[in-house]
Amino acid sequence: MSLVKIFSVSSRVRAGGASSLVSRHVQYSTEAKTEKVYPPKEPGYMYVNAVDPNMTMKALSDRAAQTMFWTELARGFAVTLAHIFKEPATINYPFEKGPLSPRFRGEHALRRYPSGEERCIACKLCEAICPAQAITIEAEERQDGSRRTTRYDIDMTKCIYCGFCQEACPVDAIVEGPNFEFSTETHEELLYNKEKLLSNGDKWESEIASNIRADHLYR
Amino acid sequence: MSIVKILGLDKVASFFNIIRQNGGIRGSLYKLYRQDELKDGTLVGEDKFGNKYFENPRYFYGRNRWVEYSDNYNMNYDGSQVPAEWFGWLHYKSDLPPHKDPARPNYPWMAEFTENLSGTTGQYTPYTTTRPKVEPWVPERKSTV
Repeated sequence: MSLVKIFSVSSRVRAGGASSLVSRHVQYSTEAKTEKVYPPKEPGYMYVNAVDPNMTMKALSDRAAQTMFWTELARGFAVTLAHIFKEPATINYPFEKGPLSPRFRGEHALRRYPSGEERCIACKLCEAICPAQAITIEAEERQDGSRRTTRYDIDMTKCIYCGFCQEACPVDAIVEGPNFEFSTETHEELLYNKEKLLSNGDKWESEIASNIRADHLYR
Repeated sequence: MSIVKILGLDKVASFFNIIRQNGGIRGSLYKLYRQDELKDGTLVGEDKFGNKYFENPRYFYGRNRWVEYSDNYNMNYDGSQVPAEWFGWLHYKSDLPPHKDPARPNYPWMAEFTENLSGTTGQYTPYTTTRPKVEPWVPERKSTV
């Protein structure tokens, strides 16, 4: 940019600024009589607060007529009538269900390998990371020499569904499945043991595997 | 815009269409009683429990897919009766219904789906899966002659 150009630009800016200042000053000076400084008519500004009502005779009589003839009432009924025929904004739950992410963290499940062998190797990383200390694991050597859990309890009433357990798991054994409809009538039904978690995995494997596949690019 | 749309006659036509699709006036009244809502849509599929899955993109997202629970459940339908295979489609996670999704696993060890059985005789009751670590001492009984 040449020096001349810079000068011309800056001079234009200065000139513009000065003229707008002048005009604002003029505006203030004229409107000081009617005590109406805002809203300023400058482009780029929008006055968002309540504006004082217009107090001319015509506007006053219009407002009075609206009040006397109850037009608001009729217009309000019209809005109500229109909303009867509108499509509702709510969903009809047990029949329609809301959208859910593949990463949704619901009821826990223990998964199996495609061969049917359980995945959990009792490394206890989930137990260690669980911030609510809801997981209890005991491990023993199985007869074939592999390390497996004998106890895998989750207290679902302690669990805060943070998903740390499934992130800590090195073999994708413990996952938080998609199911959220596991409310119970008693407290004790929510103290899940290993068999319950494995049966959850067997029931939900179709959906759990689909979720993991849907999210594999981000893992 | 046609004159039919300006006069709102297409809405009247779709109203009668909905009544016809739901099985006449009697059928519509029963469905209205059971489901609180009458909708028209295309049947996408049916699961092995007899629940029917419908879709109609005319309704907005979140209402355009729905399930009609099997008549065997009568009024005892429940949200947890949707099996795992259809769960993803109904929750808008996938656009593929299970019979058109080849990547969905089907292992022999996968279990039959059950609804939430809380409050029935089939409910889960917790039990320990290990032997107790502390066993009470049971003294040898001497003969009590």
